[in-house]
Amino acid sequence: MKIVQVFILAVSVLFLVSCTKVVDIKLNNALPQLVIQGNITNEPGPYIVTISSSIPYNVSNVFPGIANAIVKITDDSTGNIDVLTDELNGNYTTNTTVGKIGHTYHLQVTLGVQIFNATSTMPKYVPLDSITFFTNTGFGGSTTNPLPNFQDPAEGSNYYYFKQTINKRVLPTNFVVDDRLSNGRYISIQLFNDSSYIKKFDTVQLEMRCIDKNVFNYFNQLAQLNDPNGNQSANPTNPESNITNGALGYFSAHTRQIKKTVFK
Amino acid sequence: MELKKLLKQTALIFTVLISLTSHAQIKKYSINGTVRDKQTGETLIGANVILKGQTGLGAISNAYGFYSVYAVEGAYQLIVSFSGYSADTIDIALNKNLEVNIGLQKYKTKLQEVVITSRKKLNNIANPIIGVQKISIDEIKNVPVLFGEKDILKTIQLLPGIKSAGEGNSGFYVRGGSADQNLILLDEATVYNASHLLGFFSTFNSDAIKDVTVYKGGMPAEYGGRLSSVLDVKMNDGNNKKFGVSGGVGLIASRLNIEGPIVKEKGSFTVSGRRTYGDVFLKLSKDSTLNNNTLYFYDVNAKANYKINSKNRVYLSAYTGRDNFGFGGNFGIDYGNLTSTLRWNHVFNNRLFSNTSFIYSDYSYRIKIKIANNDLLITSKIRDLNFRQDFQYYANANNRLNFGVNITRHNIIPGVVTASALSSFNNLELQRKISLESAAYISHEWSASKKLNITYGIRVSMFTALGPGTFYSYKPNGDVKDSIVARTNKAVATYINPEPRFAVSYLLSKNNSLKFSYTRNVQNLHLLSNSTGANPTDLWIGSSNNVQSRIADQLAIGYYQNLGNNMYELSVEGYYKDLQNEIDYKNGAELRANENVESQLIFGKGRAYGIEFFVKKKFGKFNGWVGYTLSKAERKFDGINGGNYFNASQDRTHEISVVGIYQPNKKWTFSATFVYYTGNAVSFPSGKYNVDGNTVFLYSNRNEYRMPAYHRLDLAATVQGKKREKFECNWSFSIYNAYNRENAYSIAFQDDPADASKTQAVQTTLFKIVPSVTYNFKF
Repeated sequence: MKIVQVFILAVSVLFLVSCTKVVDIKLNNALPQLVIQGNITNEPGPYIVTISSSIPYNVSNVFPGIANAIVKITDDSTGNIDVLTDELNGNYTTNTTVGKIGHTYHLQVTLGVQIFNATSTMPKYVPLDSITFFTNTGFGGSTTNPLPNFQDPAEGSNYYYFKQTINKRVLPTNFVVDDRLSNGRYISIQLFNDSSYIKKFDTVQLEMRCIDKNVFNYFNQLAQLNDPNGNQSANPTNPESNITNGALGYFSAHTRQIKKTVFK
Repeated sequence: MELKKLLKQTALIFTVLISLTSHAQIKKYSINGTVRDKQTGETLIGANVILKGQTGLGAISNAYGFYSVYAVEGAYQLIVSFSGYSADTIDIALNKNLEVNIGLQKYKTKLQEVVITSRKKLNNIANPIIGVQKISIDEIKNVPVLFGEKDILKTIQLLPGIKSAGEGNSGFYVRGGSADQNLILLDEATVYNASHLLGFFSTFNSDAIKDVTVYKGGMPAEYGGRLSSVLDVKMNDGNNKKFGVSGGVGLIASRLNIEGPIVKEKGSFTVSGRRTYGDVFLKLSKDSTLNNNTLYFYDVNAKANYKINSKNRVYLSAYTGRDNFGFGGNFGIDYGNLTSTLRWNHVFNNRLFSNTSFIYSDYSYRIKIKIANNDLLITSKIRDLNFRQDFQYYANANNRLNFGVNITRHNIIPGVVTASALSSFNNLELQRKISLESAAYISHEWSASKKLNITYGIRVSMFTALGPGTFYSYKPNGDVKDSIVARTNKAVATYINPEPRFAVSYLLSKNNSLKFSYTRNVQNLHLLSNSTGANPTDLWIGSSNNVQSRIADQLAIGYYQNLGNNMYELSVEGYYKDLQNEIDYKNGAELRANENVESQLIFGKGRAYGIEFFVKKKFGKFNGWVGYTLSKAERKFDGINGGNYFNASQDRTHEISVVGIYQPNKKWTFSATFVYYTGNAVSFPSGKYNVDGNTVFLYSNRNEYRMPAYHRLDLAATVQGKKREKFECNWSFSIYNAYNRENAYSIAFQDDPADASKTQAVQTTLFKIVPSVTYNFKF
């Protein structure tokens, strides 16, 4: 629960204090670092792996793609080896890989003398039943958030990822949840969003992914880092990637489904 | 057993030393008694009792106002003095042991009042303890504070070496330690969460408080269990002569205090209450998004004492306070402390004073969530039962022994989740953690010569994690490696730590001295918190098979000088502190509702050093002080910053505080405080990259950046109303942040909402200029 944030809000309302402003801060420039991102889903391919580089803080958000890497995906279950096609813009597309539930995929990226490895297993598919809404009222406003509704399987640990799109605007926040405290329950959990609250007759689209443990850890740490409500970790650090050799980003084999609902 | 041997040897050394320092046996008698306020009967702690013309023959009244002095048969003048009171001289014919109870008269005029006093007139010079400061409630009432709520925790933050945990916050850091390393005692009971409303107010209602002593280093051996400091808060006893009612009406809260005799001169009681009423205004609103919220806190302090006879007195004190917060009908939290202390003072004979205490201390919170079909109740509690036995043995004029034992049983209920049938969550009950924390101590206050005072001693502490329960051990990746099931009261892990304490002062002249101290402190309760603010749901854990005792060794050296006939007091103290087994968290650590929370921790070490300057003008129409601290606080963990030392977040290089109080006449008092400190050490991004189409910030080293420097000026004015025979009142006006500085509470990084191709840093300021007014009365 975001107690701290709710308290600050309450104190602000009560005492009519607290204000924000944009400030200038001198920051160091870290050396460019490699960012690898790859997704394999249970939907038909091709699938894409992107390789890019980090940039200094104070330049525009243009993230250069990196070409000329050798990217291989091995399906450990079938032994199929797929050498991806270099699109020369940082994107690499698969040719023969087929996303299958229960299969373990191995990613290898070779860039010059550096080799990066990652492994991910596509978990079981858990169907998303419906999307409902809940309106929170209190302290000078009401906000509506969507709730995905689904049955968590009793066996094993399950990890879920949600992405919200409100009227075609993809929200920058990713929401991940595991069944550590909910194993076997019918889960309806409120997805907090950024300041763009849902209004009547908005169309809300949810993408639900069943992800593996390492990918959950990655997105869970990413969520703490990028909390739009300023409820940051006291010690922000780069999320732990499932890719070796210090690369940023992640490699995920997951199931994917999409549902849309209009808020009335 | 090793422990037994150690204790035996220690006892032997003490016996030898005391017999060495005893003088040849001439006929000697004692004078003992209690020092009190003449009007109210309130005991005075730290009053100075001396025999005129007999250097070295004197005593300081203890925490119960009790004193004891020795002299050979003869006629004497006993002089008793206490800051803010007129001294009293009593003629004594000493031909047998005497009981002399003393009532001191408070100064009629406030002009003589000082802001922070030392234990006795020259005590800051002679007392070997380094880094101790005492505040009386009368003395802090002139210092301006946020919303005009007098607050001892915010006032002590104006002393060098004590740093505020943040804007308007009552949390504090002492000499590079973390916020959970302060032992906060209210009439001997541990207060686990000393703040209300996310730290903006302390749990101490200043109406109920008599005396506050803070130790930043060189803690006497009777205190233990926390590494950085001891804040010893004593409640008022209540007027034992007449009934009285006092109170105040402020912007945030109102206060009411009732006190009076139970049996005149023999016993008294006091009850103080305080409640905020912001929520009452919310209820008046027609807006349903406002009037269905709850937000308040309250405190109740109560105390009674009764003198059975001249040898026995009992005290019962209790405190309860709670915050209650409800966000619509969807989310609610309430939390608070409950403490009670039963004490029995017994004077065995004129040399041996005893105090026996039974203490109960409790902190709990409850969270209620009702969102869609998620109906949840989360509760957590920490409950202590504590027994203390303390003795003070006045061997002779130059030797005093303090010794005793202390046994505490901690019962921590980390979390119970109760969920409705349709809820998304399972019921959960985390294992209770039972532990036993005990200690024995002995310390010797020795005036070795007129110039040399030494206080030394040892505290041996023992902490045992007890069954019942399943105790896990973990692999480096956090997975469970092994587990054992322990039955009830089975010791699973035991930590025994000797904690030597040594302090010496050497008088260079009547007005200046040098001091040196070495102190080891051990802490076995640890507060886990990885968010930026203090959170009422932060988890306390005990040392265990996975978590070792935290240990701090502190060396301190100081120079003290009084100038201008004690008008000015000056001190310079330097310290170096070494910390072992400090706690930090793994990346993405899950501290909430986690049975394996100990697997989420990493352990390292720390160091802190600094120098503190303090100059105070104690008397006159204009008084006040200036403090300056230059310091460094660092931590070191494998896997953070490549295993190198990094700045602790509370590391602030420079810290300045200035307090000025001006009383031109009896009617008006003006005061001002100014603080400046280097911004906290923080981690800001050093680059950015793209994941899933979103900007993600790239972090490099831990705490390599700084928040902007913090500074603020507060002003206050108090005007006394017309004094009538049975009624007194005053108005107090204050302005917090008088020049409207926008201090940074937090800085967040995000994409520019107006131009997605850019990123920006957004600073949040909590309090700009805040004026307030309070009305106080007494009849």
